[in-house]
Amino acid sequence: MATTVGEPAVAPAPSLRDRTPARPPARKRGAGPTRRREAGAGYVFLTPWLIGFMAITAVPMLYSLYLSFTNWDLISNAGQYVGFRNYVRMFTIDPAFWRSVRITVTYAVVATPFKLCVALGIALLLVRQRRGTGAARALFYLPSLLGGSVALALVWQALFSRKGAVNNALGLIGIEGKPWVNDPKYVLYTIVLLSVWQFGAPMVIFLAGLKQIPVELYEAAAVDGANRWRQFLHITLPSLSPVIFFNLVLETIHSFQIFTSAFVIGGGQGGPVDATKVYTLMLYLEGFGESHIGYASALAWVFLMAVGLLTFVFFRTGRFWVHYADNEER
Amino acid sequence: MQPDTPRPTGAPAVPAHRTRPSSKRLLAAVGLGIVMVASGCATSGPPAPAPVEVAPIETGPVEISVFWWGGDARAQLTHQVLDLYHQKHPNVTFKETWQANAGYIDKLNTNLAANAAADIFQLDDNMLGGVAARSQTLDLTNYIAAKRIDVSKVNGSLIDYGKVDGKQAAVPLAENTPGLVYNKTQVQKYGVEEPQIGWSWEKLISWATDFSAKTNYTVYGTMDPSADYKAFWVWLRQQGKDFYNGTKLGFTEQDLTKWFDLWKQARAAKAAPPADIIHTANAGDVTKQLVVTGQAATSFMWSNQMPELAKNTKDTLGVVSYPGDPKGQWARAALYFAGYVNTTHPGVVVDVMNFFINDPDAGKILGTERGLPANTDIRTAVVATLTDANMKATVDFENAITPKFGKAPNVPPNGAAAVRTLLIQEAEKVQFGQMDSAAAAKEFVEQANLKLTA
Repeated sequence: MATTVGEPAVAPAPSLRDRTPARPPARKRGAGPTRRREAGAGYVFLTPWLIGFMAITAVPMLYSLYLSFTNWDLISNAGQYVGFRNYVRMFTIDPAFWRSVRITVTYAVVATPFKLCVALGIALLLVRQRRGTGAARALFYLPSLLGGSVALALVWQALFSRKGAVNNALGLIGIEGKPWVNDPKYVLYTIVLLSVWQFGAPMVIFLAGLKQIPVELYEAAAVDGANRWRQFLHITLPSLSPVIFFNLVLETIHSFQIFTSAFVIGGGQGGPVDATKVYTLMLYLEGFGESHIGYASALAWVFLMAVGLLTFVFFRTGRFWVHYADNEER
Repeated sequence: MQPDTPRPTGAPAVPAHRTRPSSKRLLAAVGLGIVMVASGCATSGPPAPAPVEVAPIETGPVEISVFWWGGDARAQLTHQVLDLYHQKHPNVTFKETWQANAGYIDKLNTNLAANAAADIFQLDDNMLGGVAARSQTLDLTNYIAAKRIDVSKVNGSLIDYGKVDGKQAAVPLAENTPGLVYNKTQVQKYGVEEPQIGWSWEKLISWATDFSAKTNYTVYGTMDPSADYKAFWVWLRQQGKDFYNGTKLGFTEQDLTKWFDLWKQARAAKAAPPADIIHTANAGDVTKQLVVTGQAATSFMWSNQMPELAKNTKDTLGVVSYPGDPKGQWARAALYFAGYVNTTHPGVVVDVMNFFINDPDAGKILGTERGLPANTDIRTAVVATLTDANMKATVDFENAITPKFGKAPNVPPNGAAAVRTLLIQEAEKVQFGQMDSAAAAKEFVEQANLKLTA
């Protein structure tokens, strides 16, 4: 599924756009033996990767699928087959499961659009070539380089604590701050802010996409008397829709995978009052804290399927609003 | 990266029909690998029968890995003792790993699961039940019987506190007891009386209410320990109950509701700070306790932690028992050393543990950092030579309280670590006003029962 459906998203990726019209017709392959020989060579060259893939990804994944049907214990490394009991348990009797789902969805629903809007906004500001644009782009990209680092989360925790820099700054303009990271009402949104602040990656992709939009379109629209807003609405957004789609899918998946900042800011336990116990953190604590690796495996598979399903839904609905210029030319 | 790999030029020309079977063979091998992994896991599952004999102390070169949590001071002292052992037994070298308490059990669990745990690792009573129930600790029963670990100078109840299911799963290194640490400097500054052994809980709260008002609520009178399992435990013991009864909870929903309500009133009276401040200390990190951050005048700790707390503040600290009848307190095995069940050098591992407990020089180095030394002879010697004022205060407190101790409880069962975390979660729901005491208590009991049976 992933490869066939994934193609449209990759094909219109900005840098490929110039190449796509000139796609050569599929080269006629030689007769059977040659072709098979080439395939053999391909496999040989593939072997190092294949071994890595098998040993590090495929086998452990399948093994975890097996574990998810057991009550395997991480430490004593023993357990019995329990059928679907793990799956039944999470959907029916484990309140921590639904709580984590709710927290993770809240996070994704708030963080993803917020981050994309900021990325697009800054990209629009930086797309025109002016003095210092390069430096500005680099600066805006900088926070993303720090990634999901523990140090950054610690800094965030200090900034947003009761006596942190943020509250001091708010105090200067007469606003009484809140204990952001220590209050279950706000802590998740400080993590959202941390993620939004690292908008560099989607911004760069947006920038590349913006540069691909033909200037003639804007000139024509200007001649017809369209103002900046209408130009944005009717030229920029539709032309950019494949890139928006690409970023949306990527960032949504990324949001669901949040772990490090929640782990650090939540003090390793998803606190205060479980407000930062996102799905991956709950899974981790279940598997490695309480050593219920069977149950944790089941949680992981449900998570994988949920994210896969969500991506599938994106691709299905994407047909209605993503506008591929290339397709129309053909 | 692939071009770097040297490869015979003829390789791509290998006929296809030869690669096919070999790839099948590869798959078969992988499949077998899975089976081997699975069966390997299965065979290592059931506990191996305890060896009747004891392993000899090896004389050839041996490397022993040691893993513990703690601060810089503990790291330094532990290293010095290991170094001393190395000087006396040059064939033994040590690989030391240490870290902060947060994340320690996760890492230990992962190492145990990977069959790569340290030969000797540190545990506390919350962890012991879980690790021992999974047969991951070296059974020390025979070694103690053979006097390879000499416990003749160790208080019997302390040794018993390392037994799980009739086996000696670990040995205690030291002894401590719950201790209410208070900020002496501030207490004197605001002219209130110092907390005393034997104060009732109500007395502490009214004292704290008074204190908060005197500081105009810049410093609160007391930490709210409603999320703290040991404070709740002492409180239960004072009423003749216990936290655990075997592998079940030893108290009812109503008990916990009462406990939560007690502190709800304390917060309402501003004897204790708001929930977000309490939250920062609930995880137990020594450097974040309110008595050292200057946000409250008292913190609920273990007695041996007082000197470590004192390093984090300029103020003078004092220590007394938790409020209520001191019979709720007990002599607790402060920290244990356990041997890894799969260690290849059990003889040396046991000898190192014995060295930590019984060697006078080792005892002198360790001082009271983990608590009062378990060996009573060494305890007397160490106490006589103490120079650190905070350590002295701790010892004075322990000596004053020891005759009043109640009987030590059993070691908490498997699942206790999770229950301890659960208490923090449920107490915080009440502290932040998300739930009333009764609802949170009900949820706690339901969830705790699941954790204890799982």
